[in-house]
Amino acid sequence: MLKTRKILIYSFALWLFSILSLAAFAQKEIVYHTFKGTRVVNGHSVEAQREGELEMIIAHRFGRLNGGPYELFGLDQANMRIGLEYGLKDWLSVGAGRNSYEKTYDGFVKVRLLRQRVGGLPFSATYVGGMAYRTMHETDSVRALFATNRMFYSHQLLLASKIGDRFSFQLMPTVVHRNFTESLVEKNDVKAMGVAARVRLNKNFALTGEYYYILPNQLADIYFNPAGIGIDIETGGHVFQLHFTNSRGMTERFFIPETTGNWLKGDIHFGFNMGRIFKVKGRWY
Amino acid sequence: MVLIFKYFFPVIFLLSAGNWLVAPEKSGDWDEETPVQEVLKELGEATPAHLLPGESATSLMIIKQGEDIVKRGRTIGPNGKLSSYVSKYFICTNCHNIEQEDPDLTSRDPELRLEYAREKGIPFLQGTTFDGIVNRETWYNDDYVKKYGDLVKPAHDDLREAIQLCAIQCSQGRPLEGWEMRAVLAYFWSLQFTLEDLQLTPGEMAQLQAESANPAKWESLRKLVKGKYLQTSPAHFSDAPPDKTKGYGLTGDPEKGKVLYELSCLHCHNANGVSEYVLDQSQMSFRDLEKKIPKDTHYSIYQIIRYGTWAQPGHRPYMPHYPLERMSNQQVEDLRAYVDRMSG
Repeated sequence: MLKTRKILIYSFALWLFSILSLAAFAQKEIVYHTFKGTRVVNGHSVEAQREGELEMIIAHRFGRLNGGPYELFGLDQANMRIGLEYGLKDWLSVGAGRNSYEKTYDGFVKVRLLRQRVGGLPFSATYVGGMAYRTMHETDSVRALFATNRMFYSHQLLLASKIGDRFSFQLMPTVVHRNFTESLVEKNDVKAMGVAARVRLNKNFALTGEYYYILPNQLADIYFNPAGIGIDIETGGHVFQLHFTNSRGMTERFFIPETTGNWLKGDIHFGFNMGRIFKVKGRWY
Repeated sequence: MVLIFKYFFPVIFLLSAGNWLVAPEKSGDWDEETPVQEVLKELGEATPAHLLPGESATSLMIIKQGEDIVKRGRTIGPNGKLSSYVSKYFICTNCHNIEQEDPDLTSRDPELRLEYAREKGIPFLQGTTFDGIVNRETWYNDDYVKKYGDLVKPAHDDLREAIQLCAIQCSQGRPLEGWEMRAVLAYFWSLQFTLEDLQLTPGEMAQLQAESANPAKWESLRKLVKGKYLQTSPAHFSDAPPDKTKGYGLTGDPEKGKVLYELSCLHCHNANGVSEYVLDQSQMSFRDLEKKIPKDTHYSIYQIIRYGTWAQPGHRPYMPHYPLERMSNQQVEDLRAYVDRMSG
């Protein structure tokens, strides 16, 4: 009985994949700009660099707003990530960055699997596989730390749809694997389901938001689900993203399993992503 | 001796007969497929400087290379390797059509051209079509001297120089190498006018054929042929209206404006186009355009259409402006009327 069910499930998956592939490759116009940038707030959007495009993204997350005037509402502290992303092909891009938070290096591969098309496939799909390596000097009084203990991995499937001219929506099933956890009660593999949305206010401004629901019984009680809201400002070759989030980190390894801020208590970080695209190979368009 | 009679004479006879049977083409033996240049040459017209030797002009390989450069910006060179882009920012067809774009080759009426472009589904662009470009005698005419100054002088009556000016200045690229220039010219020669394009009446065709043997008639026949198409592409610049809120004081037709928006604006300002300023059919795009109409910036349709933008250090792509022959003031108002209507 179990075998029959498995066969049915696999057959259905194969049928669905075939239908989607056919729809994806049909000669219909691609839906562009589901999101304006390659990031929503902290997490990736379904968008990726085009072939030959190099984007430099400088991101800051300041301290918490509830630090009050003494901390100038968090502006006295800042975590920074500087990163580069490059489109090897229109469907394949790679990126790397360095985070000041825990002196962590990260890298990722982004693959555009399906593109939403006008009158065709109703959504786009992108896979993001990332890894991170923490270089901060540290010791553990209980266990010896090895280089592998500093490594983290993440896998995300981004499913996004642009509905009309103004609204875009994205689902982000995610798994973050940590080779090493601070506590034995925490799982090495952290599963989460993210949702994100973008609402265009006009040609240059859009509201954005993202939220990751961490499945229960995977993390210690001190961690919260990450959530952020922001505004995208588009100025030709630049995209400025200003936002508020309860996370300090800017890569999946940080903000999904290790968000400590509680929105209800004002643990909110103001931050921004600033991207500039350079065309380094081929024609400019 | 018998062998000579048996084999040699028949061979000589057949060869001679072949010569008689396949007589050389004589003057006036033309049909609709005959290139206009060939006709003019036989009517005593001086050979244009941009005429290529027969082999270069007819080699399909060279023509294909030229077509690649015009449509894609580069091609496989004589060394078998992919050449570098002539321009990183533009290809020729961003601003020029390759098809006939005016219903009447003796007129450059933008109103008629827009209707023709709508029927044929071709873009409505700033630059003149490459169709018949080799049949013209001057390029960068009239007010282009205001834009390019002395750079226009060598390009005005030399197509090679005009192509180089376009490659270096207009498309902000590099000069074409010798083989690239030959290839582009060969492609352009493949787009030359034939007698069919000139839409001669049966009477005119008969006159052409009948009188071509008489050199005394050649001048009038040349005039007849050249009277069927423009040897130049007029270009007169215009200003934006002093008061952009009032515009040119003409009543716009939004239906024509819609065609202009689709065949002109969206040709470059689409999501995959050459411009970073992306437009579409959303209300947001139209509201953004409408909001900026009164402003004295290049985001105002009046300003951008009449003056364009300029290449700057660090940001070479720019938008060329539309001379009056490429978009009339009435058409600018038509476009505005469509923008006003769609912005709600």
